[in-house]
Amino acid sequence: MNRRRLVVGALYLALTTLSLLWLIPVMTAFMTSIRPLDEIRGGWWNFEGATFTLENYARAWDLGLSSFALNTFIITLGSVAVTVATGALATYAFIHLSFRFKKIWFFLLISTMIVPLQLIIIPLLPWFRTLGLDQGGWQFLGIILVHTGFGAGWAVFMLSSFFREVPREMLEAGQIDGAGHWDQFRRLVLPLAMPGLVSFAIIDFIFVWNDLLLALTLLQRDFQPIQVGLANLQSPHLSQQDLVSAGAMLAILPPLILFAALNRYYVRGLFAGGSKG
Amino acid sequence: MVTTEADVRSEQARRPARFRGGWLAYAFVGPLLVVFTLFYLWPALNTLLGSFFRWGLLRPWELFSPSEWDFVGIQNYIDTLSSGRFWNAVVNTLVWLVVFPLLVTGVSLFVSMLIWEAPQAKGLFRTAFILPMTISLAAAGVIWTFIYDPDFGVLTRFVEWSGIDFAIDWGPVEFRTSDWLSDPGVIDLGFAQVRMVNLSLIVAGFWAFTGFGVITFTAGLTAVPDELREAARVDGASTTQTIRHILVPLLRGPTLIVATISVIFALRTFDVVWVITQGGPAQDSEVLAVLLWKQAFVFLDSPQAGLATAVAIIMSAVLIAGAWPYLRDLTREGR
Repeated sequence: MNRRRLVVGALYLALTTLSLLWLIPVMTAFMTSIRPLDEIRGGWWNFEGATFTLENYARAWDLGLSSFALNTFIITLGSVAVTVATGALATYAFIHLSFRFKKIWFFLLISTMIVPLQLIIIPLLPWFRTLGLDQGGWQFLGIILVHTGFGAGWAVFMLSSFFREVPREMLEAGQIDGAGHWDQFRRLVLPLAMPGLVSFAIIDFIFVWNDLLLALTLLQRDFQPIQVGLANLQSPHLSQQDLVSAGAMLAILPPLILFAALNRYYVRGLFAGGSKG
Repeated sequence: MVTTEADVRSEQARRPARFRGGWLAYAFVGPLLVVFTLFYLWPALNTLLGSFFRWGLLRPWELFSPSEWDFVGIQNYIDTLSSGRFWNAVVNTLVWLVVFPLLVTGVSLFVSMLIWEAPQAKGLFRTAFILPMTISLAAAGVIWTFIYDPDFGVLTRFVEWSGIDFAIDWGPVEFRTSDWLSDPGVIDLGFAQVRMVNLSLIVAGFWAFTGFGVITFTAGLTAVPDELREAARVDGASTTQTIRHILVPLLRGPTLIVATISVIFALRTFDVVWVITQGGPAQDSEVLAVLLWKQAFVFLDSPQAGLATAVAIIMSAVLIAGAWPYLRDLTREGR
């Protein structure tokens, strides 16, 4: 029994050490963001005569972070809404209805989960110009639709695993009662698969919020989201770690809050995605 | 009215036809497929076709203006495959491709096993590893530049403070515990130089990605019924036997998933590299995704978008070929 306690002790020691190690980067960003620049030079872990302030945030906010944040919310919420709505409808059709080239469509959609985004980004800019999506607020619509196109495969793949959990007998009972597909979809499938929809929405939210490549490629300065702002602020030759860390914290925060509040759904969604393969 | 069994049967036979949907199916699936076609398939097709032409972003190639085409056949592919810069990017990508999946798979497996064995606070520990997954790679990149900072980075200071700083120079292997983001060393393989700065970037990506492995392995481990372990113990199975005959077979699936997904991630890695070094110093950490982005969107003085599309096609072809079994499984199970 003594040996067992020793083993458990060693186990917890290892886990605690590793976890703390894993949290150091976040700690670094957090501490750097709430202390003046000249104090950080002595190391953020040095607490002698430490002052804590929100001034870095205020300055970063005034220097344009506010509009970056707004853009990010527009792009992310728009993309998630369009992807979830079109994805849920399409998934229902993929499971319960038949249409031409269904197998080919499914294969093409699923292959986007593997093919790199680089396959589409180069001709997108001229394509936006042709469609008139390269000007002003239209850029938001453009990037939302690209996010939808890219997220479509994930949506159908993940949602179908949740939609299939709706018992067939219930659907058949509905059909006998004369309910059409639209009724089935709205009254039965959507409510029953709601946890799955929430899971997917969270994962898509985090994915779109964290996107750098598409936004960097497609959007003009005034329409860029916070990730692009961060990438541009970041420069080894400029000493502005105070601002950059405040920006990084704000870029991290919304997905983190979502994760903290809906942890269960997030992990469940990844479970479904991960264990399916 | 009495419903006979025959009635029910004929009703069942009729129903599928009515419920297959007809035009309604297109109303359901249409919106997604239209967006997917316009904003995924069409650009992808343009990338493929555009890779046979010489063009740049200032005068983009367009399918419907053939008068402006500058057809070069497979010249873009020949130029790409004979360019030193391309092969430099291939070597850097290969470093990612080998080291990143090994780190992610190995460490997340180890951590998941530890957490699985822990009697309490499983969720707490798991959260510590999953949390970085929600952080954008751009922000992760920024944070890791702080850690590697030559003046006040945690890592730099820790190395100084603990006195483990050293520098080795053994012929082809050179390594020093400083200059993490400029030049921490190099391994000279003769035909290629493996720059250690890539490892610094890989660690940042690995930190962010390990949570995925932890989630996937945990899913696999919870699939082990407690009764099975209990039965094994009752039967007097040793720890090694339990591991060999119960854990290894059960973890084969999750291991394959984590390895595959991290290979895919490694091959298309962009964000971390772009934010931390932009492929520098010089081209020491330039991976394929960064190279093609520069060709298409930075080097505008000569038209190189055709070359960039060729690189994109090569990357996609390698990924599809490599992940083919995985792709086939996904397609099969999805239906």
